[in-house]
Amino acid sequence: MKKKLLVLCLAMMFALPAAVLGAGGAKDTVVFAAYGDIKDWDPSVAFSLEVVMLVSVYEPLVWYNPPGSKELLRPALATSWETSDDGLTWTFHLRKGVKFHDGEPFNAAAVKYSIDRTMKMKKGAYYVWSAVKEIKVVDDDTVQFLLKEPAPIDLIASSQYAAYIFSPKAGEKGTDWFMQGNAAGTGPYKVDSWEKSQQVVLKKFEDYWGGWDGNHFDRVVLKIVLEKSTQVQMIKSGEADFASLAPVDSLPGLMKTAGVEVITPKSWQNSMFLINTRKFPTDDPKIRQALSYAWDYNAVVNSIYNGLATIGEGPIPKTMWGHNPNLPKYEFNLKKAEQLIKESGIPKDKLKLTLAYIGTSQEYENCAQLLQANLAKIGVQLELLPGPWGTIWEKAKNLDTAPNLQSMTWWPTYPTPNDWLLGMFKTEKKALFNLSHYSNLKVDTLIDEGVKMEGIDRDAAIKAYGIAQKIIVEDAAAIFYADIAARTIKRASVQGYVYNPAYNGLFFYQLYRK
Amino acid sequence: MKKYVVKRLAFALLVLAGVSVIIFFVSRVIPGSPVAMWVGSKPTQEQLDAANKELGFDKPLVTQYLIYLKNLAKGDLGVSLRTHRKVSEELAKRWAATFELVTVSILIALVVGLPVGILSATHKDKPIDHVSRAVSISGVAVPIFWLGMTLQLLLHGGLDWFPLQGRIDSQVLIDHPVATITGFYLFDSVATGNWPAFLSAMDHMVLPAITLSSAALAVVTRMSRSSMLAVLREDYIQTSMAYGVSTRDILYKYALKNAMIPTVTVVGLSYGMMLGGSFLVESIFDWPGLGRYTTLSIQTNDFPAIMGVTILFALTYILLNLMVDLIYYFIDPRIKTPGTSG
Repeated sequence: MKKKLLVLCLAMMFALPAAVLGAGGAKDTVVFAAYGDIKDWDPSVAFSLEVVMLVSVYEPLVWYNPPGSKELLRPALATSWETSDDGLTWTFHLRKGVKFHDGEPFNAAAVKYSIDRTMKMKKGAYYVWSAVKEIKVVDDDTVQFLLKEPAPIDLIASSQYAAYIFSPKAGEKGTDWFMQGNAAGTGPYKVDSWEKSQQVVLKKFEDYWGGWDGNHFDRVVLKIVLEKSTQVQMIKSGEADFASLAPVDSLPGLMKTAGVEVITPKSWQNSMFLINTRKFPTDDPKIRQALSYAWDYNAVVNSIYNGLATIGEGPIPKTMWGHNPNLPKYEFNLKKAEQLIKESGIPKDKLKLTLAYIGTSQEYENCAQLLQANLAKIGVQLELLPGPWGTIWEKAKNLDTAPNLQSMTWWPTYPTPNDWLLGMFKTEKKALFNLSHYSNLKVDTLIDEGVKMEGIDRDAAIKAYGIAQKIIVEDAAAIFYADIAARTIKRASVQGYVYNPAYNGLFFYQLYRK
Repeated sequence: MKKYVVKRLAFALLVLAGVSVIIFFVSRVIPGSPVAMWVGSKPTQEQLDAANKELGFDKPLVTQYLIYLKNLAKGDLGVSLRTHRKVSEELAKRWAATFELVTVSILIALVVGLPVGILSATHKDKPIDHVSRAVSISGVAVPIFWLGMTLQLLLHGGLDWFPLQGRIDSQVLIDHPVATITGFYLFDSVATGNWPAFLSAMDHMVLPAITLSSAALAVVTRMSRSSMLAVLREDYIQTSMAYGVSTRDILYKYALKNAMIPTVTVVGLSYGMMLGGSFLVESIFDWPGLGRYTTLSIQTNDFPAIMGVTILFALTYILLNLMVDLIYYFIDPRIKTPGTSG
C-alpha cells in the first residue's frame, strides 16, 4: 500500500505541468541574470559586483555622464557645485525635498554622515576621499568639503564605490543590518526581498524625487545564475532581459538570435603585461622595447579577444578623458625586436624571461603562448607561470620572486585618468600595484601636478598626464595591448539602455519595455 | 545499543578532529594571500595590513588553529573570505538545498529501482529484464552532465515541460515566499500550506533529481535484482513454494525483506556518493546548494569556507554510515548488536 502511494506521488510529480509563469517578459518587471550574489550590502564597504544593484538603490551627489556627452558630470543629489580658486574648498548645493527609503529626509547632515562613516570605516574604496580634511554642514541644503590638498571632489563624488549617500538612521544600525539585505538610499528602487544565493527583488520607491511619469519598470529581479550556458538559454527564451555572463563563442549566435541584442561598447578596462624595470634582463629599456615589438597586437585583439577589444595605446584607455592620442606606437616587428636585443649587448643565452598570469584566464594564456612562440623565433626563452591572483600578486610585489612580465587588468575606482598612473606607475616604497617596479621622478612629479590640477584646471591636468603617458610608453614599462570592450546582452524589447563605462551597474530607472 | 551509538559518536568526533587538522594545515600551506580576496580587488597597503590582523593571519599557524577550534566549539565557523558572510549561515541554507535534492533522488532511485529490480528477478531473462538491464547500464555509463544538459534541452528547450534552472520560480518566490522551518522547500511549503510554492519547487526538482538519481537508480535496480534472485534460490523459499504459499506472499513477506539488506547498504553509500555527484548537477541547474559553494571556495582558497564544508561533509558521512548500520539492525534482528558481532 505504502509503495502504491509512493508510486502515485512520483507519477504526480512527473505529470506536473510547467504551468507557473516565469517572471521574465512581464511588462512591469525587468530580469537581470547576475553572475553572483550580492557580497557587501553596506554602501560604505561595497566594492564589487553589488554595484549592479546599488546604483539603482542609492545615489551619489553627482553622476558621471556617458562618453560623448557635452558635460562630464550631471546633478544627482547635488544640483550644483563649485570649487574655490585654490581647489581646497568644494561647495555642493543639495536637492530639496528628497527622502530616503526609510522616510528620513535627505540633507547636508546626511551627506556629512555618509561620507564620514565611509572614511572612518576604511573599507572598500574609502581611499578615494583621502584628500578630505573635513566635511562641513553649511546649512540644510549646502555642504562643504575642506581639503588637505587639491583633489577633484566632483569626480570623486560621482564614484560608483564609496560615494553613496544613505540614511544616517540606517548607518547607525551598522554593517550587520545592511548585510541582512537591508538598504536605505534615495534611489528610484528600494530593496523588496532577498533570497540568499537565489535572487534580489527591487521595487519602485513611490516617493522618488525623479517621479514615476513616463515609462519605467515597477520591479527589478536580479536572478543569480552562475552557469554561463544557462544564462545564454535564459536570454534566448526571454526568461532574462539581461545576461551578464556569456561565453565569447556564444556571442555570434546571440547576435543573430531574434529578440536578443548584443552591445559591445568600449569600457574603461584595459589589459597589459607589466614589465619589471628592476629585474634582469628587463631592467634594460632596450629589452623592454624589444618585448613591445615582439607582441602581435592585431592577432591578439582579433583572434584571442575575438574583436571584443581594441589595441591599447598607453596606460590609459582611449575613451577615458585625459588619454593622450599622440603617443608613440609599437607595432609587431620581430626584426626590430631582434635589432634592439642586439643593441642591448646582452647575449642571447642569458635572455631567459618569466611571465606570470592568472591561470584561469583563457585570454591571458593565449596571449602568453603567442608571445612565447614569437620570442622563440628570435631566440629568447619565455617561461610561463600561471597561478591564482593571490599567489602571483604576492610574488610580483617582492623583487626577489617577481617575474619579468606580469598580467594586469585595470579599471578606475572613480572616473579619473589618474587611477592608472597613480596605481601602477608612481614610485612605491613597497610595491602594491606598481608591479613594473617602475620609478621615474619626472613621471611622479607630473602625476602629482595632474592630481592637484584636476579639480582646478582640468586642461592643465590633461597636459601633465599627457607627458607622463608619453614617458611611460617610451620607457616601455608595460606591453599595453588591449582596451577591453564591455558586453551587454539584452532583450531587444527593453529600451532606454545607454552604456556608461563609469558604472558597472544598470540604471534600471531609465529602462522600459516596448 | 545505546552504548554502541555513543561509542560511534565519540569515534566520529575523533575523525572530525583529524579531518579538521589536515584540512586546516593543508589549505594554509598553499601559497598566496587569501587577504587579497577579503579586501577586494584594489586595496591599499593599510587595508591589507589591517585585514591580516583582523583575520588573525599574522599569528602562528598553531595559534590560528587553536582559535579556530575554540570558535568551532561555540558553533562559529568564521566568515567566508569570498562572500563576507558567516560560513555557518551559508552552510545551513545550502546544506538543506543539497540534502533535499539528494533525498528526493534517493527516493526516486528506491521507488523506481526496487520494483523494477524485483520484476526483473521474477521475470528473469524475459523482455522486461533485458530492458531494465539496458536502462540500468546506460544509467551508470552516461555522464551526469551530459544527461542533465540533454534533459534541459529536451524537456525545457524542446517541450517546455519543466523549468531550466533554479530551485523555485522567481515570481512564486516574490508572491509566495517560503517560510523557513527545515530549509527543505518541499516540506516547508506543505507545512505552511503554501501550495503555489510547493508546486513550483516540485516542478524545479524534477530534472535535477532525475539527473542525480540516474546512477543510483541503476545500482539499486541491479542490486535488488541480484539479491532477490539469490534469496529466491534459498531453501526456505523453495520449501514455501512447495507448501503452496502464494507467490505474492513469498515475494513480499519473506524474500523482499532479506533481499533488502544489500540494497540498503548500497543506498547508504549512494547518499555519500550523491553528495559528491550533486556538485555537477547543482552547477548545471543552478541549484543553490553546497556544490557550487564548495567548488568556488576551493578555487579561491577561502579557508573558513573550505573548513566548514569539509567538517559538514565528514559529519554527514559519519552519521549516514551510522544510520545504515542501525537500519540493518532493524531489518535483520539476527544482527544483535551491530559492530560487535565478531
